[in-house]
Amino acid sequence: MLLSRLGAFWIMLEWEEEAVCVIMCASVKYNIRGPALIPRMKTKHRIYYITLFSIVLLGLIATGMFQFWPHSIESSSDWNVEKRSVRDVPVVRLPADSPIPERGDLSCRMHTCFDVYRCGFNPKNKIKVYIYSLKKYVDDFGVPVSNTISREYNELLMAISDSDYYTDDINRACLFVPSIDVLNQNTLRIKETAQALAQLSRWDRGTNHLLFNMLPGGPPDYNTALDVPRDRALLAGGGFSTWTYRQGYDVSIPVYSPLSAEVDLPEKGPGPRRYFLLSSQMAVHPEYREDLEAIQAKHGESVLVLDKCTNLSEGVLSVRKRCREHQVYDYPQVLQEATFCVVLRGARLGQAVLSDVLRAGCVPVVIADSYILPFSEVLDWKRASVVVPEEKMSDVYSILQSIPQRQIEEMQRQARWFWEAYFQSIKAIALATLQIINDRIYPYAALSYEEWNDPPTVKWGSVSNPLFLPLIPPQSQGFTAIVLTYDRVESLFRVITEVSKVPSLSKLLVVWNNQNKNPPEDSLWPKIRVPLKVVRTAENKLSNRFFPYDEIETEAVLAIDDDIIMLTSDELQFGYEVWREFPDRLVGYPGRLHLWDHEMSKWKYESEWTNEVSMVLTGAAFYHKYFNYLYTYKMPGDIKNWVDAHMNCEDIAMNFLVANVTGKAVIKVTPRKKFKCPECTAIDGLSLDQTHMVERSECINKFASVFGTMPLKVVEHRADPVLYKDDFPEKLKSFPNIGSL
Amino acid sequence: MQSWRRKALWLALLASWLLVLLRVFPLLRLAVPARPWAGAPQGWPRWLDAELLQSFSQAGELPEDDPQPPQVPRGGGHCDWGACFNVSKCRGGGLKVFVSPVAGPISDTQRGILASIESSSYHSVSPDEACLLLLLLGPEAPAGECSPVPQQWNGGKNQLVLSLHPALCPQTFPPGQAMVAKASPAVDTFRPGFDVALPLLPEAHPLRGGAPGQLRQHSPHPGVPLLALAEERGGWRVAGADSPACPWDGRCEQNRGPEQTPLGATLPNATFCVIPGHRPEALHFLQALQAGCIPVLLSPRWELPFSEVIDWTKAAIVADKRLPFQVLAALQEMPPTRVLALRQQTQFLWDAYFSSVEKVIHTTLEIIQDRIFGASAHPSLLWNSPPGALLALPTFSTSPSDFPFYHLQRGSRPVGRFSALIWVGAPGQPPLKLIQAVAGSQHCAQILVLWSSEKPLPPRWPKTTVPLTVLAGQRKVSDRFFPHRAISTDAILSLDAHSSLTTSEVDFAFAVWQSFPERMVGFLTWSHFWDEAQGGWGYTAERTNEFSMVLTSAAFYHRYYHTLFTHSLPKFLRTLADEAPTCVDVLMNFLVAAVTKLPPIKVPYGKQHPEARPPLAPGASEQQPPAQDCINQMAEEFGYMPLVSSRLRLDPVLFKDPVSVLRKKYRSLEKP
Repeated sequence: MLLSRLGAFWIMLEWEEEAVCVIMCASVKYNIRGPALIPRMKTKHRIYYITLFSIVLLGLIATGMFQFWPHSIESSSDWNVEKRSVRDVPVVRLPADSPIPERGDLSCRMHTCFDVYRCGFNPKNKIKVYIYSLKKYVDDFGVPVSNTISREYNELLMAISDSDYYTDDINRACLFVPSIDVLNQNTLRIKETAQALAQLSRWDRGTNHLLFNMLPGGPPDYNTALDVPRDRALLAGGGFSTWTYRQGYDVSIPVYSPLSAEVDLPEKGPGPRRYFLLSSQMAVHPEYREDLEAIQAKHGESVLVLDKCTNLSEGVLSVRKRCREHQVYDYPQVLQEATFCVVLRGARLGQAVLSDVLRAGCVPVVIADSYILPFSEVLDWKRASVVVPEEKMSDVYSILQSIPQRQIEEMQRQARWFWEAYFQSIKAIALATLQIINDRIYPYAALSYEEWNDPPTVKWGSVSNPLFLPLIPPQSQGFTAIVLTYDRVESLFRVITEVSKVPSLSKLLVVWNNQNKNPPEDSLWPKIRVPLKVVRTAENKLSNRFFPYDEIETEAVLAIDDDIIMLTSDELQFGYEVWREFPDRLVGYPGRLHLWDHEMSKWKYESEWTNEVSMVLTGAAFYHKYFNYLYTYKMPGDIKNWVDAHMNCEDIAMNFLVANVTGKAVIKVTPRKKFKCPECTAIDGLSLDQTHMVERSECINKFASVFGTMPLKVVEHRADPVLYKDDFPEKLKSFPNIGSL
Repeated sequence: MQSWRRKALWLALLASWLLVLLRVFPLLRLAVPARPWAGAPQGWPRWLDAELLQSFSQAGELPEDDPQPPQVPRGGGHCDWGACFNVSKCRGGGLKVFVSPVAGPISDTQRGILASIESSSYHSVSPDEACLLLLLLGPEAPAGECSPVPQQWNGGKNQLVLSLHPALCPQTFPPGQAMVAKASPAVDTFRPGFDVALPLLPEAHPLRGGAPGQLRQHSPHPGVPLLALAEERGGWRVAGADSPACPWDGRCEQNRGPEQTPLGATLPNATFCVIPGHRPEALHFLQALQAGCIPVLLSPRWELPFSEVIDWTKAAIVADKRLPFQVLAALQEMPPTRVLALRQQTQFLWDAYFSSVEKVIHTTLEIIQDRIFGASAHPSLLWNSPPGALLALPTFSTSPSDFPFYHLQRGSRPVGRFSALIWVGAPGQPPLKLIQAVAGSQHCAQILVLWSSEKPLPPRWPKTTVPLTVLAGQRKVSDRFFPHRAISTDAILSLDAHSSLTTSEVDFAFAVWQSFPERMVGFLTWSHFWDEAQGGWGYTAERTNEFSMVLTSAAFYHRYYHTLFTHSLPKFLRTLADEAPTCVDVLMNFLVAAVTKLPPIKVPYGKQHPEARPPLAPGASEQQPPAQDCINQMAEEFGYMPLVSSRLRLDPVLFKDPVSVLRKKYRSLEKP
């Protein structure tokens, strides 16, 4: 329903555009005909024409000036974004009896309180966010309800407005962000702020409204969520506890540390640091401070417990200094001297010090029972922090000491990465919040655990094998042989006849790559026991051999050239058996190697008798059909077109692709054979050619540069039947006919 | 009028019109009303005085001006891990579980669960030692008897109330501070991080082993329908890929008919399985998982099983039932890469955590143990990639790179050296020749001799280039798979005193192992077979075209398997191996195969020594002592036959090729 309505809307718009064109085009035609009348005019009109001419000339000059004048007047963005002062925003008077929303509904979940229909169909899988314009709210007596807007909230709204999520069309929005600043509950009047929320034009019990709050609660009980009644509105809050957090509905966000922007702190890598444990918070409950002091007394130098400075000289910012007795330390620099840093709850659970600690690459030791860590819905805090129950505070030191050094370094790295990605600016916090909500609404397009949590260095080095499940496919399925051919019909028929003798063959596909010649008539093809299908291609391209044809019904594919007649049925069947044990690899017959040429400082292709292999030729190779999909649609860079243009190296490209995506080496099966046939230039025949070798080396260098790495893996083994060349009766062997020439 | 002037006028007019057109056209475009994207969007204004705005938290006014800890509403209906669980009882020994005695008769399932816990490492015999008391609620309890508050209830502190089946008498006593592990709990009452969500198991779920996943191939078969819809009475309705016009709202009842599958526990054969969010449908969830059909859950009102540790976004799609068309479109357009990954993950999760009652129970306890361990718990990677957290013990290491399974994901490699572990049994002959051969390998880091003979240690050992350490064994065969602290490398070359290997063989085998660090790489092989006549499993050392076990008297494997062998196998099996020494090979192969689901790897072995065979070669069935039947006892204990056969051997690339021997790296392998 919605979809069709949307469609109609689109069509309407297109119509309008066309209508404009019709009008314009008509007028053009009319006026072109017009000047033809001029010569018949009398001379008295000449003055008129001259005037017209000069006007036109002036117009031209003016346009030229306008076009090429340096654009100092106004940049295009300023056309739309007004330059105004915050003090000039419209004032809204809230009557004392205007409605107040219900208190937050604790049972809210996305599928009960959130209106997904507003998010409708969106091919880009991105929610649309609308921001209400800024207003100043005053009560009946003209007293403002709150500070109009804080620097951070202004930044936050600007970040949303600059992002892909933003829309200025309230009708298309899925999420609404009020411009009423509730970041800090202490700076606002609760009842009046709630009234201000309730009178927003699309409030509707707060459905699909998102509020950002970092400092919730107030004295004396310090609630862990914003006290402003907000009904169904989502709350992105800093300092949620398990009691107030609505799992899967609210978003737990960090408390932004203004020091992030103010202080320039160069990154410090992981590793052992001067202090093992550091406490840098100033307002710590006396009981907890006692505990900390006790730990320091017990472990001496490796623990440092800091407090606020009492005797600082004038003009020194007290937030930037910490003291231990009479010694003064710079904050946040001192955090970089510690391996673990205590993040203890104060009156509130969420503490800005967490952000400073992460930034310093210090592993936070979170001591705040029931605290919901920031972005815990997606971030794996086990990798970056240690959570210690408040009861266990006195054991902190021994708990931390049981963590191995390697894990600590990993955590330090992870902590720093969390700060860089999700804590360092208001923008990062805002976008991560929206991404989390977006992931909930479009779960099929959500970011994965790895995308959220793995630092870039890990993402780069890791391989996620697309066929990771250890599985040996059943033999009964068999394989599909794909023969790429151009016009060597005689040789092709021999190959078909040979391959059809393999017991596990289930289908044979001939890819006819010659557009100028028709394939032979049906009656001329060899009669074989499995279905034979000829696919004609539109263009003579090598990549046709790796196209994921619908006709391929088995997982295993045997790519075979139309001149490979020397492989015995035993060898092919054994190759298929080997593939079943390694379904995620290329399993092929002739093996090749890449070598680093130290003199030339580049890669070299090698086809000699070597003790190692890193590639197999796809002139005869088994592989999973999924790699056909990858080759056709996911080949990096321009490799696919490059191969088609050069008519060479499609097999090397396939080797690169598979090795890159699986991180595994090829499997060469059976001993080396002379891959030569009497009437054709087979792989080996060609390979001997010097220019061919140079070309192949060029391919390797080209692909390595496109992939940005050398994915090929070198191994020293090949696969043979268990009893190959063993002193054992030949007739009892499963695959006797292997390796014979 | 002169013609030039005429032409000039012509030109001028034309030019003017062109100009007018060029200038006016964009204006007209702007003038078209109701076009939301006309011009740049009206973004948030850049305030002139943005720099002057105040920060939300004033530096002077510290937010923590009142550092009084807030009053935590303890007790009540709400509990979380920090507030309601006393971890101090669990320090040291890790999780120790005492099963509270159940009043009245107990069912077979319950008895099985009890036995399974008793044989596990969690078990504790006394409630005082245990840090967790487990109360097992059965489904059969008659209505009157289902609410006896157990003796050591203590408000439910450190208690786990476990009910595998939806209880007949739900919640007759309040759980209080007890953790509740029950099947498909409603999201409203579930306490995240405290309760444990279990899967809703069918009545006849196997206790042990369990049926393997149904997936036989990685990618969906081309002909398989896109969707199967869960029916209310337990069946599945298949919707073809080409009939997407009918979503699952029940609006297309008339389309039902021949496609409907019969009722019963048939598994769906489709790429996606759509499951509505009501509670009873949770049973469908496991079926889909087993079938390798990607579950698409429409606004589920129950918590997904083990959601605390399992990343369900990798195996299922939780979508909003209010947007059927969007979900359908998303499923149809889902890239093959994602489909492939989701399908495989369903199978992995099924096999690792759900296929048997025992796995479900152990997973539950493992989750609670992880909470106790805190920083040294399983990293998420260990839970969510093969072989799964039950087989990757965090007590071994919390760094994934230490295990043999995660090198690809972490971009790491196993250490490029190995430790030779030579077990000297009863004859007590120091294997001097063997030590020399092994020490000759450039990859050898150390040689450990495990002296398990009653004879005294020889006074002198040969001088080797690598350090040689003698460990005093306990004269038990299982001792050779003990995780000795002295082992410093990832790779272990396990040897017997009477093994005979050349340096070349060792080098090549180690090169192969580095490509397959999670498997066993060995020289001598056995194969198992199903003996129709005996109605049981048998195994043979005869040379056949395939094999499924490699002998540990000469094999490379990862040292992690020592930890797994000693700490995860049931005690009963280790005792079995001690009683019949050949069984230890079978057991180790069972273990590795159960973890990897893959066969071991055989490399060429020069000499076929008859004496290299173990003294008790199986085959002669008449003289077999009863313990020889260990393969059947093990298969029973595992619940299935984990061994997988292989038909290949990995040889050096130029092995026995007609080329000069000088070209070959491992030439001594080919000596007759």
